Amino acid sequence: MRVRLAAPLAFALVVVPAAIPSQARAGELLCKANYDYSIEVNGTYPQGACFYQGDARGKWFIDIPSNKDGLLMDLTERKIFAVPRGRVAPAGDGELKVQDDLPPGSTAYAFSVEGPIIQFQADDSKIRILPVLQRPPITGSTTIAEIEADRPEYREGMKIYTPDPKSMAVIGKYPKQVEIEAYFATWCPHCKIYMPKLLRVLKDAKNPRIKLDLVGVPRNFTQASGPWSDKNLTSVPTIVVKVEGREITRMGAREGAVPEEELAGILQAVK
Amino acid sequence: MIGHAARLFLGCVFLLAGVLKVINPDELAREMTGYGIIGARVSAVAAPLLIAIEITLGVALLVASRMRVTAAVASILLLVFLGAKIYSFARGNTDPCGCFGTYLQTSPGWGIAIDTGFLASGLLTLWGLGRRGDIGGRLRSMAVATVAFLSLGLAVASPHLPIDRFVTRLAVGRSLLDLGLQGKVPGEGRRLVALLDLTDPGAAAIAARLDAIAGEPRAARVVAITPSSEEDKAAFQWQANPGFAVEHVDFALLNPPGQRPLYRRLPRYFLVAGDRVVAIYDDAPPAASDLISSEAS
Repeated sequence: MRVRLAAPLAFALVVVPAAIPSQARAGELLCKANYDYSIEVNGTYPQGACFYQGDARGKWFIDIPSNKDGLLMDLTERKIFAVPRGRVAPAGDGELKVQDDLPPGSTAYAFSVEGPIIQFQADDSKIRILPVLQRPPITGSTTIAEIEADRPEYREGMKIYTPDPKSMAVIGKYPKQVEIEAYFATWCPHCKIYMPKLLRVLKDAKNPRIKLDLVGVPRNFTQASGPWSDKNLTSVPTIVVKVEGREITRMGAREGAVPEEELAGILQAVK
Repeated sequence: MIGHAARLFLGCVFLLAGVLKVINPDELAREMTGYGIIGARVSAVAAPLLIAIEITLGVALLVASRMRVTAAVASILLLVFLGAKIYSFARGNTDPCGCFGTYLQTSPGWGIAIDTGFLASGLLTLWGLGRRGDIGGRLRSMAVATVAFLSLGLAVASPHLPIDRFVTRLAVGRSLLDLGLQGKVPGEGRRLVALLDLTDPGAAAIAARLDAIAGEPRAARVVAITPSSEEDKAAFQWQANPGFAVEHVDFALLNPPGQRPLYRRLPRYFLVAGDRVVAIYDDAPPAASDLISSEAS
């Protein structure tokens, strides 16, 4: 008798409590911004559009501010559902809570997958989700402000980076005229990691004697002509450091590179 | 005398280069592709062949089999290496030279300088031996032919031989910091780490097996780490819809120059508790039930 009772009791103690939390959170998806992807709408990249990864398997949320509804991509059901804005709420730290227990008959769109790209038609918009490295690149001279506005992956990378204060003090107080020519590519995975750190460093340094020339290069930069030509570039990013008009050295991305420490070291060596 | 000294030196060089490369032929194929002269498919075939040629040349030079022919072939081969390195360097490739496999790597500049020195040894061998080197010896030739055959077999079989524990830096007891994976394996409890090549046609099937583990709440959490590109990661994400996290880690971080690599061939799996490796599974991921039972014990 004891044995007979023990089994259901164990079931009640072990299985039921385990099931309760999932029932409690059913219908609510916590979504975290994922800056590895861009959202293209009719060939443009709307500012503020953001791709979110849900905390349930295969669920991703697409937020395009100009759209009436949010869009919930369900990879398991192979559909994208329109989610009324009333079902979406901020959850702090840039996260969103999405009520995904949509009523039957909710508007849904089919999507197709071509390699790393997802595309679908939502009403009159042709929408593509693509890796940020596949977006048309920034080419030519640009500025930190332009990059922050146009490239969320760089903006967020800058936001989360904390430069080393000692190195920053050296860079911030450096007395000579410094020119930094930074050749980078928005299609380059190493630039995506390294450049936000460097830009944050140069932005925070607030040293009026340090001038930054920021140049985006195309994929075929060794053949195509532009401000990067005749600079003897073999890879990106290449950061040319000039002190009082004279090229001192070049910095580049390597795994674990700390740009402010490297730059401070270079500047200290040219005191 | 000078000719024989140069022959023995060159023989040792070729033998060492071949033996060090035979440990990891896949890496040699990758480096050959990186020169930008031949594609990945040709490299995959050429790598074991090159290893066999190097070992055979090394042995032939050491046992003095058909010395002039051997020294001439060795010199031509060194000239080809030198040309490929100069071509690659001129195109901006600054990857280290894997002349002696992944275990002794040099900068491209040093690689060119070293090959020039070896080429000089080859020419010195030819010059120093004069016409004396053309005597053969049937026994020596047969021995060299046997070495050629065996070394080719070894180069082809090497990736499948169970030597990973000796030649990679993944070992039980090592920390994630030692492995260059600090911060790449989120969580604190037991995690099954899967090192995956997402371009592998079998990646979706592997994902299905890992999903079975990820879907078992009492089993270890699954984290996949891949050197594949972000585009490949996206394609995998949309096609396989994995129920576990996939982290991209640069190939150079997983296999830093001058250090033993983390893997010779993918996939590879290991279990982490805290920040230490507690088990390694080389052939296939463990069953979810195995992970549960080991946790209970």
